[in-house]
Amino acid sequence: MTGKQKKRLWGALHTALILFAIFVMLVPIAWIFLAAFKSHVDVYQLKLFFTPTLENFATVFDDPYRLGEKLVNSTVVALVTVLIAIPIATLAAYSFSRFHLRGETVMLVIILATQFVPAVVIILPFFVMFRDVGLLDTRLGLILVNLAIVMPFAIWMIKGFVDGIPMETEEAAMVDGSSRVQVIRNIVLPMAAPGLLTAGIFCFIIAWNEFLFALILTNKDAVTLPIGLALFKGEEGDLWNLLSAAGIIIMAPMFVLALLIRKYFVQGMTMGAVR
Amino acid sequence: MADIRLRNLTKRWGDFVGVDDQSLDVKDQEFLVLLGPSGCGKTTTMRMIAGLEEPTSGEIWIGDRMVNDDLPKDRDVAMVFQNYGLYPHMTIFDNIAYPLKVRGVAKSEIAPRVEKAAEQVELTEFLHRKPKAMSGGQRQRVALARAIVRTPQVFLMDEPLSNLDAKLRVTMRAELKHLSRALKITTVYVTHDQIEAMTLADRVAVMKNGVIQQLGTPDEIYNDPSNLFVAGFIGSPAMNLIDGSVREGMFVTTGGTRLVPVDTPDRGRAVLGVRADDMRIDEKGAGAIDVRIYAFENTGESTMLTVQWGRQRVIARGDRHLRKEQDDEVSITLDTAHLYLFDPETGNRIRS
Repeated sequence: MTGKQKKRLWGALHTALILFAIFVMLVPIAWIFLAAFKSHVDVYQLKLFFTPTLENFATVFDDPYRLGEKLVNSTVVALVTVLIAIPIATLAAYSFSRFHLRGETVMLVIILATQFVPAVVIILPFFVMFRDVGLLDTRLGLILVNLAIVMPFAIWMIKGFVDGIPMETEEAAMVDGSSRVQVIRNIVLPMAAPGLLTAGIFCFIIAWNEFLFALILTNKDAVTLPIGLALFKGEEGDLWNLLSAAGIIIMAPMFVLALLIRKYFVQGMTMGAVR
Repeated sequence: MADIRLRNLTKRWGDFVGVDDQSLDVKDQEFLVLLGPSGCGKTTTMRMIAGLEEPTSGEIWIGDRMVNDDLPKDRDVAMVFQNYGLYPHMTIFDNIAYPLKVRGVAKSEIAPRVEKAAEQVELTEFLHRKPKAMSGGQRQRVALARAIVRTPQVFLMDEPLSNLDAKLRVTMRAELKHLSRALKITTVYVTHDQIEAMTLADRVAVMKNGVIQQLGTPDEIYNDPSNLFVAGFIGSPAMNLIDGSVREGMFVTTGGTRLVPVDTPDRGRAVLGVRADDMRIDEKGAGAIDVRIYAFENTGESTMLTVQWGRQRVIARGDRHLRKEQDDEVSITLDTAHLYLFDPETGNRIRS
């Protein structure tokens, strides 16, 4: 075999492997996508050709499922979580990055360590606490829980980006006449923007997909989409077509977000990683 | 326009002393260079003047104001950084305009001032670009323009040329000198490059271990060094320092050679300093001392002869047309008008 042939064989193998990986990852999604447009009768048959129907999407928004309410809950919870988390995390990350704080390393490790506590372990105290202060089954309660979950990620991620901004740039701005606040607003925020966006989206995804806490802490008013999925258990078994339709509704915003911010996301990821 | 006065300035980090109880006056409109090896405290001194570093003790005066407790923005200084410190997300125009914008200068006034500053550093055609699209030299020009767009009381420059390649450094050095003489603003300039110090400075402060070793004009620093460190640090090749003693008015090397007459009382140990340029090279037997050539180097503009002198090696500079070979013998005569004696214990100059 000549070198050229070898190279081509490698290339072909390469492509085949990638296609296989894509196939493995996309099959469940493809299945859901198909199921969402199938009627109840068709779901259990693995056929690719069927009469597509939008009926499932109408059904999930109707009584008794009322997915619309859950959609609003999920959106509000995830969005507000991000809007609160990112500014706070940015300030925290900036402080960790730029000032010599007493016990800095310990604090950073503790912040990260909260992530290692299994959610199931602390869910009961949360339940009791929330019951006592009346936060059970409220969006505010869920926002607080989600904040606790995403903040460590956000702080660590954004700190990486702030670390990547050369100190000299900030010092130049200070000598040029900026106060600390102006330095953050005019220099640090624009320079860290891809990082903030990345962190924001990351947090949004975590909050959007959060299941366990929402399952225990909500039951009617503040139920979110992932919990909503559990509703599609009928007397006649799992309603796969409805489940799939709801699944698509959960996934759709993620796809749109990923498309919109693809460029910044890669930039942000590499920047945070390399520096 | 203002002078800078440092009074007993000290900076300590734990046990490490960065700047040790130093006082220094920079005159109005003076170009003062802080020169020294890395870690000597020169940058720390400058950063304290800028307000980027807080002194452990001591006072910093700019003009008639003590600025110790002022934020950098309130000190009315402009600074040029080694890595330029440009704002990558802004265009060159916005970079230069930033000091004006943030200080609330009227919009109508900003554009003409930015254009004037850009013109002074020949950047006019690049104003719409981002720093990323500029070369190192151009970036340094942007940093300069950003400093001169306002008329600050003091310029601070932290090794501004050290990130440029050798050729560009020479060009930029001349531009910097031209600009500084035209602007007449008090300037403190930090560098470890003695050529920069010699060529740019009105006065040089040579620093080591947080202490100013000598403060003087480039001429004084080069021709009248006050101690061993300054003598060895300034000049390329470095000043030859020969160990020996003074006996009966003669400097005697440790090898026992009676080298030159010196006008100093006898002493057991002394170091004789002589620059490569202050040694005359003759054919064997025609000068004071015959020596063997250890290495002969031709740099094009001159020749360097490293000669074995007892147990020590000494470098002499010869004419550019001189041609010798290794192991040839030549004769060397020291110029007695330009010899320096030092006390090896204290490092201080022994003046007769």
